[in-house]
Amino acid sequence: MRMLNFAKRNFLELIRDPLSLVFEIALPIFLLFIFQQFNIPSEVYLLENFTPAIVLFGFSFITLFSATLIAKDRSSSLLIRLGTSPMKASDYILGYVVSLVPIILVQDILFFVTAMLMGLDFTVNMILTLFVSIIVSVLFIALGILIGSLVSEKGTGGLGSVIVQLVCFTSGMYFPKELVGKVFAKICEILPFESCLNIVRAAFNGNMEIVSTRNIITFIAYTTVVLAVAVIVFRKNMVADNKQ
Amino acid sequence: MYSIETKNLVKKFKDKIAVNGVDLMINKGELFALLGTNGAGKTTTIKMLSGLILPTDGEIIIEGMDMKKDTLKIKEILNVSPQETAVAPNLTVKENLEFMAGVYQIENKETKINELIKQFRLNEVLDKKAKTLSGGWQRKLSIALSLINDPHILFLDEPTLGLDVIARKELWKVIEGLKGKITVILTTHYMEEAESLSDRVGIMSDGKLIDVDTAENFIKKTGAKNFEDAFVAVATGGEL
Ligand SMILES: Nc1ncnc2c1ncn2[C@@H]1O[C@H](COP(=O)(O)OP(=O)(O)O)[C@@H](O)[C@H]1O
Ligand SMILES: [Mg+2]
Repeated sequence: MRMLNFAKRNFLELIRDPLSLVFEIALPIFLLFIFQQFNIPSEVYLLENFTPAIVLFGFSFITLFSATLIAKDRSSSLLIRLGTSPMKASDYILGYVVSLVPIILVQDILFFVTAMLMGLDFTVNMILTLFVSIIVSVLFIALGILIGSLVSEKGTGGLGSVIVQLVCFTSGMYFPKELVGKVFAKICEILPFESCLNIVRAAFNGNMEIVSTRNIITFIAYTTVVLAVAVIVFRKNMVADNKQ
Repeated sequence: MYSIETKNLVKKFKDKIAVNGVDLMINKGELFALLGTNGAGKTTTIKMLSGLILPTDGEIIIEGMDMKKDTLKIKEILNVSPQETAVAPNLTVKENLEFMAGVYQIENKETKINELIKQFRLNEVLDKKAKTLSGGWQRKLSIALSLINDPHILFLDEPTLGLDVIARKELWKVIEGLKGKITVILTTHYMEEAESLSDRVGIMSDGKLIDVDTAENFIKKTGAKNFEDAFVAVATGGEL
């Protein structure tokens, strides 16, 4: 299949960039480990709450590196070559999405193993979280496709970092949103990252009460819109960059 | 039936007319050189002929098929080596060949890949990542990749740009080897390249195809002492 052939190439391209592995895997594991050493008296740092947060943190780097890959493909004119082949638009988009699934699964498993080494018990909910996180990751991959189609390779670092920061500050991974004030809490609700974290936390703890209907609607709305816009912008910009 | 035929081909970018009413007729197996100064519209023409971008106006007929209707069918029988070397940087040479074989769903993949390895003498760089190759090797790989689907029509956009003399002469040999078998459309800045490789030359200037003839006839027509002078005379309308 053309789509899987393209996914395989993207996967190889991604895992052969050592920097991306450091940020996607090593850094989140380090944070997971280090915050357990401080004994901070806040619920968010309990392993059952912080491990799913680290999953989401890892996703923000998926956005960053998928954006970089796409921006590179556009500038190296590999997409010009592919654009003259019989590949269809769906082959490209799905090829990018599918190539990231193995990386997401490896991230999750390594994060869970780290948490278990630090005392968390294995539960079936971890398996459930694997499935749920693949669904949640679609939003982060779509953001990557969108950013990679909009800006050049240089710009992806900046915009990708914005996503990383937004995940850190608006998801509630480090502190509850109420701590900062009403306006900030509202921003957290409008952005999708708090909703994403609640969904992953609910799966991880097998506790559906963590996630609200608003969370689910927000996630679905963002994912649908970002994915649709990403597809349109990718198709439009795939070959439009013309240096001469 | 022509290999490539265009009627009144036009491409506008916002208010810039990049290609302006080009009529081309290129025969099967012909090596056709498209010449012109920077910004003349060569790359844009190739992008339209290879189905990458849509013309603003006009018709493209490839082996009797209409580009508008039979795009996917046409894309099966052509290939392009773009102006900037287009290879997957973190993949090895072998993996690049396998990747492109997958893109075209080549049936006898291994046979075809081995044939290209032999033809382009890629053996010594087979396990090297594409990004670590020299400019010359990257070009060669880029052209090898564009032959993976045994195209009837091959577009080479400035294939020897930035190469040293030896690498260029080597590529000439490869391109000469394709002559007669497949239709090749080549753009270049090097006059001696067009003169020695091509059956016919088309000269573009400011989006228009000014004239098409053999290099020899261009020299005769303009009374110039060599092809370079003939090109300058035609491209500038005899002003220089
Ligand atoms: N995507 C684009 N948007 C706007 N202008 C473009 C675009 N691509 C090419 N052009 C313009 O069209 C003209 C022809 O470009 P091109 O076909 O690349 O020329 P050549 O390959 O002969 O050097 C140039 O003036 C160029 O600036
Ligand atoms: Mg050009």
